[in-house]
Amino acid sequence: MIGEILINFFRFFLIIFIQVLVLNQIEIGGPINGYFNPYLYVLFLLMLPVNINKPLLLLVSFITGLSIDLFSGTAGMHASACLFIGFIRPYFLNLIAPREGYETTLRLNMQGMGASTFLVYALVLVLIHHLVLFFIESFSFLNFLDLLLHVLTCSIATLLLIVLSQLLTQKNREAIS
Amino acid sequence: MRNFILIIRRYNFFILFLLLQGACAYLLVQNNSYQKEKVVSTSNAFVGRIYAAYSNITDYLKLGITNKALSEENARLRKADSSSFYDKSFRILKMNDTLHKQQYEFITARVINNSVSRINNYITLDKGSLQGIEPDMGVISSNGVVGYVKDVSAHFSTVVSLLHSGFKVSSVVKKNNYFCSTVWNGASPRFANVLDIPIHAQVSIGDTIVTNTFSKLFPSGILIGTVNQIGIKGESFKEIKIRLSTDFQNLSYVYVTRNIMKAEIDTLESKREIVQ
Repeated sequence: MIGEILINFFRFFLIIFIQVLVLNQIEIGGPINGYFNPYLYVLFLLMLPVNINKPLLLLVSFITGLSIDLFSGTAGMHASACLFIGFIRPYFLNLIAPREGYETTLRLNMQGMGASTFLVYALVLVLIHHLVLFFIESFSFLNFLDLLLHVLTCSIATLLLIVLSQLLTQKNREAIS
Repeated sequence: MRNFILIIRRYNFFILFLLLQGACAYLLVQNNSYQKEKVVSTSNAFVGRIYAAYSNITDYLKLGITNKALSEENARLRKADSSSFYDKSFRILKMNDTLHKQQYEFITARVINNSVSRINNYITLDKGSLQGIEPDMGVISSNGVVGYVKDVSAHFSTVVSLLHSGFKVSSVVKKNNYFCSTVWNGASPRFANVLDIPIHAQVSIGDTIVTNTFSKLFPSGILIGTVNQIGIKGESFKEIKIRLSTDFQNLSYVYVTRNIMKAEIDTLESKREIVQ
């Protein structure tokens, strides 16, 4: 239990560090609408333990978003988008739960959930996060089609990074046994 | 009362969600309502220090380009210096310049954080109120307009970049003095739109757009960009796209302009409002 908390703390700082000092500094040219950053930090929220209590999940999401806001000078934007993830995550996990429910030891990553389930899980939450984020950011500044296209391209970039990081950090079971 | 508590306990998750969203909305509104939010901004001392350390490292990577830009600027300044002119006059004249009074001062600052990918972009500088920087000062680079100062802490300041959806620079077509305003179009960090140029104005590709004399932020005649594309918008205005002269993706040193006579202009203009 303590180990779980420590791991998440460590992951929190690592991911915020990577997001702020690496990913926020590189701008990827999109097909339209200039440049965007991938938001890998969503992965932290995806990987929080499956049995975390719901109010705590909201608070952690809020703090995560606020930390990113602090570094990008966008008060409240990321926090709001993260809250949506924190709110929807438990319901969505219920929706895609296996028939016998989740084991409390299940890790919410590609290895624990299986690649296809994890991809669906990540895709839906990333899309929701980006949609809320860009919607708040633009607030009728762009037209809706451009916004959707922007959300889509950025989500794909984020998802690619998430999958990449999963492949890099997964333990090779065959090598251990 | 008991029912009320039951409802709260039943829906505590949703209520907490709404409360936190409320907090977000509060922060968003505060932040937009012009220089109030000091807590969550990049000029905050803790964040500023981290960015300063980060920029210490990345500055090394840009040393070549920065050196080149600085030496080019030095060359230009040296060219304008009186010592590089041949004195054609026979007598030595003693000049006491009463025609010119200094109106602008410049403070150099280093860019420690910068973004171009958002719709509202901000820049963080490593100088703050201790070095004499105040909100509402203009920021320029050696190539042209950059933005204006929004928040200031003791050692750092946040600048609203020209790449910000809410920032209009009052500008003028240098060739024929048509007033217009430049605003970013939210797409590429290299281009911006120029609004309010009437359809009969003669503008051609390659014309320069500079800051005008209305602006209290910038000295007049600071370069903004050159006309890149001309279209027609509606009945009476041209739609002009300009290529910005400042390379926002590669900013490292900027000048903060201080208008010494700004207070004087402001008091004069506030009198006018009272009469109205």
